[in-house]
Amino acid sequence: MAALDISTSALVAQRIRLDAVSSNLANLTSLERDAEGRMQPYQARYVIFQTDEALQTRQGAVGVKVAAVQTEQVEPLYRWQPSHPYAIKEGPRKGYVAYPRINLTAEMVDALVATRAYEANLGAMELTKNMAQQTLRILG
Amino acid sequence: MLPALLHTTPIPILGEVLHFAQARHTVLAGNLANVNTPGYRTRDLSQTEFQQRLKEAIAQMQRAPAGDSPGLMGAEPDEALRHVRSSLENLLYHDDTNIDLEKQVAEMTKNHLLHNLALTILANQFQLLQSAISERV
Repeated sequence: MAALDISTSALVAQRIRLDAVSSNLANLTSLERDAEGRMQPYQARYVIFQTDEALQTRQGAVGVKVAAVQTEQVEPLYRWQPSHPYAIKEGPRKGYVAYPRINLTAEMVDALVATRAYEANLGAMELTKNMAQQTLRILG
Repeated sequence: MLPALLHTTPIPILGEVLHFAQARHTVLAGNLANVNTPGYRTRDLSQTEFQQRLKEAIAQMQRAPAGDSPGLMGAEPDEALRHVRSSLENLLYHDDTNIDLEKQVAEMTKNHLLHNLALTILANQFQLLQSAISERV
């Protein structure tokens, strides 16, 4: 049944979203290498959802897919640590270290919403299963 | 011979109701899948439209046998119901509200109940036919 495929696409999409949230929470204070090879503070990842036209029924039901995983571009958080190996050497921010600016509350709320959506789609799958099982009851 | 036998029972009509309930379930599941998609508008299959078309199809079915002598292959009574089924694609509408998770789940539950009700009556009808054929109650 197409309903099972559509609900599965939602489960996959929400799980990928939860992966992005876990990544952000795990990297609250870490650095990453950017395109030029320098160490920059970690920027939060977020997912973009889109309706999946490939998973469409003739009556208009449509699935969901992760269109892209984007990286945010926000100003890092600066902390005064002049003896840190990655402290800035010159300029107005001399002696500061750049840390990621990740909003912990927003990430946790995002995780909650993803979980709620996951459970809603699980409920839809239960209903689909029940309908299919009931249909088989006609046989006897 | 079998279509003529079945068309005095509600069995083909219940079949159409089941088909509609399953199609609507898929559309509502699609709404739940897209609960976090930005810019998404919830979709639904119009129940009143479906009931209207089913009523017309039933009326047409009842009109058809009138002038045919028994044994002639007249117009297939299936035609009307097949038209209802193929027109399910035109019942789609977008309500312009943002998705309410509770409302979608409620609609899904109601649709599920309708589906199971139609199934129960259908199973019952088949049992009646069975007992009529086997002449055992």
